[in-house]
Amino acid sequence: MTDLTITRSFPLPPEKVFDFVTRRERLLDWWGPEGMTVRDERLDFSAEGPWHSVIVNADGRRFKVSGRVVEVSPPQAVEFTWGWHDETDARGPESRVRIELRPEGAGTRFVLRHTGLADDESRDNHEQGWTSSLAKLERLAR
Amino acid sequence: MATLPPLFAALSDPTRFAIVERLLSEGELSAGEIHRGTGLSGPSVSRHLKVLSDAGVVRRRAERQSRIYAVRPEAIESVAAWAMSHREFWEASLDRLERAMMREMNRR
Repeated sequence: MTDLTITRSFPLPPEKVFDFVTRRERLLDWWGPEGMTVRDERLDFSAEGPWHSVIVNADGRRFKVSGRVVEVSPPQAVEFTWGWHDETDARGPESRVRIELRPEGAGTRFVLRHTGLADDESRDNHEQGWTSSLAKLERLAR
Repeated sequence: MATLPPLFAALSDPTRFAIVERLLSEGELSAGEIHRGTGLSGPSVSRHLKVLSDAGVVRRRAERQSRIYAVRPEAIESVAAWAMSHREFWEASLDRLERAMMREMNRR
């Protein structure tokens, strides 16, 4: 299993940042990489319960992920489970995302931990060959 | 995504990878056309094509006397979904989150 930690500093106070990372209308402003469109979603991390999102890239490929919101502690933390669906809509291995916010001056220290990821995630570090091959395949497939 | 390991195993051979690249850039090709690009013997190319076909990377159809091969789009889609790493997803999303916050601050 592999864990992923991303830390950022944001200029707004935790209360505001918490809104951005939990409320649906805020989430829709930033969810998913640039160039991807959220097509179908139940994207609300402000209350416990199920969530899902389908994002579509420029080539029309669909990426679906779903899970459950398991903790909402404003304005410090939110935690939800995470599982990609494959093309037959079967849900893959489950991982877990926890976002923690701490005051930092007038702003916020933002820490995202994505834990319990399958080991294939470690290709980021030591399987560059595969990654570039796949990128090449993807370019050709467009 | 249970079909990915055999798919990657099939692609891990340079000859087969080259065949798949050609099929992706040129579209459908007959077994004969694929053979001409490789410099290998006919039976050897047939074996490679069978491995790719068994792994679901390519599909085969018969047209008159020849067998025509093409890449299965579903195979590439499952690779693409797998290849989008979580770090990429989050870093790119958080860049957008930061910009959304900047817009919010500039409005005030």
